[in-house]
Amino acid sequence: MKKTLIGAAVAGLMVLGTAATAFAGSADGMKIALVGKSAGNAFFEIAASSFVEAAEAEGATVDVVYPEAATADAQIKVLDNLISQAPDAICISANDVNALQAKLEEAMDAGIKVSSFDSAPNPDSRQIFINQAGTKAVGQALMDAVCDLAGGEGQWAILSATSQAANQNAWIAVMEDLAANDEKYANLEEVPIAYGDDEPQKSTDQTQALLDNYPDLKVICAPTTVGIAAAAKLLQDSGSAVKLTGLGLPSEMKEYTGADDAHSCPYFYLWDMQGLGKLSALTTIALVNGDITGALDETFTAGDLGEYTITEADDGGTEVVLGLPLEFNEENIEEMAKLY
Amino acid sequence: MAGKSGRTINNVPESSAKRMILSWEGILVLVLIGVNIFCAFFSDVYNVANLLRQMPYYLAEMFLMIIMAYILVLGEIDISVGATVCLCATVSCIVCNAGAPFIVVILATLVTGTLCGALNALILTIFTELPPMIVTLATQIIFRGIAEIVLGSGGSISASNTQGFKLLSTKVNLGFGKVPIILFLVLIVGIIFAIVLGKSTFGRRVYAIGTNRLAAHYSGIHVQKIRFIIYTMMGTAAAICALFYVSSSYGANTTTGNGYEMDAIAMAVFGGISSTGGKGNLAGGILSAFAIVCLRVGLGQKNVHAQVVLLIVGALLVAAVALPNIIGSLRRAVKKS
Repeated sequence: MKKTLIGAAVAGLMVLGTAATAFAGSADGMKIALVGKSAGNAFFEIAASSFVEAAEAEGATVDVVYPEAATADAQIKVLDNLISQAPDAICISANDVNALQAKLEEAMDAGIKVSSFDSAPNPDSRQIFINQAGTKAVGQALMDAVCDLAGGEGQWAILSATSQAANQNAWIAVMEDLAANDEKYANLEEVPIAYGDDEPQKSTDQTQALLDNYPDLKVICAPTTVGIAAAAKLLQDSGSAVKLTGLGLPSEMKEYTGADDAHSCPYFYLWDMQGLGKLSALTTIALVNGDITGALDETFTAGDLGEYTITEADDGGTEVVLGLPLEFNEENIEEMAKLY
Repeated sequence: MAGKSGRTINNVPESSAKRMILSWEGILVLVLIGVNIFCAFFSDVYNVANLLRQMPYYLAEMFLMIIMAYILVLGEIDISVGATVCLCATVSCIVCNAGAPFIVVILATLVTGTLCGALNALILTIFTELPPMIVTLATQIIFRGIAEIVLGSGGSISASNTQGFKLLSTKVNLGFGKVPIILFLVLIVGIIFAIVLGKSTFGRRVYAIGTNRLAAHYSGIHVQKIRFIIYTMMGTAAAICALFYVSSSYGANTTTGNGYEMDAIAMAVFGGISSTGGKGNLAGGILSAFAIVCLRVGLGQKNVHAQVVLLIVGALLVAAVALPNIIGSLRRAVKKS
């Protein structure tokens, strides 16, 4: 009994005693911590390396930290560590919308600026979100592509992921809104949406069904990387005249991209992760320097990217929008396929 | 130490100063000091204030370790606790969002956890031949399954009213730093349960069952009653852990509590509590838990890759399990020569 108590008491004292002797550190220059969702996501790492490059060019040092697992719990531990290190800013891609609020608020209370990109925590948990392209911009770009490829008139179809997929549904809503209300698209006729459930085989089957059911179909738009790749292969292999566009990965779309009839997809879009990384770095630095506070309608200059205005995000918080999604066509596909 | 039958069940040898230093708890005290010295040199932000601030998240897992120690001393295991934490955290958020006062949230969470524990206990005491590992693996899947169904497609829920949960993360300023109340709580609960396990009749019976269940049964110990109580308490501990978890994340998701059961087992085993039953004590478990927490905080502060931290903790664990055997064989070798 005594042993137990003495042991516990000694241990307690030791924890506190030895810890007190730790020395305090000092930091030169701006310290930024970049927190990813999990290690080993090639897509995210494109943005991360671009972030580091841009921030280091401005004289800041960046620690890229990945949690032990792709969970909010693991990110909370990372944030705890970061608050101890007291960097000037934390830029995070959140694993959960709400779970990080307590920790991120604690960070902000400790004087650390909190920005976010790629995946946003809720508005209370951040000062600003750096968005690649707003929902409207994506929908607009896709609708314009459809109109362009169809030659302004005729039938077009959407090959989506699942019927519940939040991102896809948001973009589709914008497209359908434009198609219904904008004179420019008045001669286009949309056929019912096909859902490939983000499975290659089902996406292929659904594309074939579209071709069989609508012989006059001119364009298919697949706002999902799995769907567009499956459709591209089917259209090209069967020599169909139907053209394809949407959101896809250059490395998967390389052999199908081209302006001639031998290729099924003239051009498509994707997030500009490099640009996103750079803008995120410059926005975060502006936040630390006090050029912006993250409030609505503030403006700042992000290096050679130009001037940006802070706007309202879909979730009610504030965001900076990089711009239009990146277009991939036969000119840049080879080069971009190495990246994405 | 004598039971009702007058028989003595006591496998703790008489202590002497030399024995105490050479005991596993003695070594753990040195390990804890060593870890803190190492961390202080390794990380320049490793200090009392930061340690106290980062601790609560890990301390929540210590509640699991305390009861897990009892189960390990029984010679058994419960791997469903992580999932129980997930289900309890989910329930607490749902009840909270329904506008219930915080005391109701606490009660609902405790009841949920206790019921989960009681389900394990019921299955294990009715079908006494079933291996606890398999039974709790099954209930782990069930509990997490229920949580995932309740959480739905979004996979996460957040507490809309965080007022009550903030109470749980209250800190008391003691001059040298702001001490989170969970630290007091975990120490008080830990010491009480350490005394019960080490000094009470109940505790000695737990050791007796872990050493030889059949012999314990024939000596008149209600083996199944004791097992029932302990497995049910494990569920309650998971509920307490869940409440503190929600107080630091204001929400729950499908990955909540992932791997907590293994963390709890690791803390206990590193503390010298044998997974084969009948050996070890909670003082060791508590010391080792603090050593692991300090190490993880210290390494984390220098952004040591998360997987490397896990690797180091894992290596320590292997060493902890192997060391007593090595020392034992060395002693025998010395005696022979």
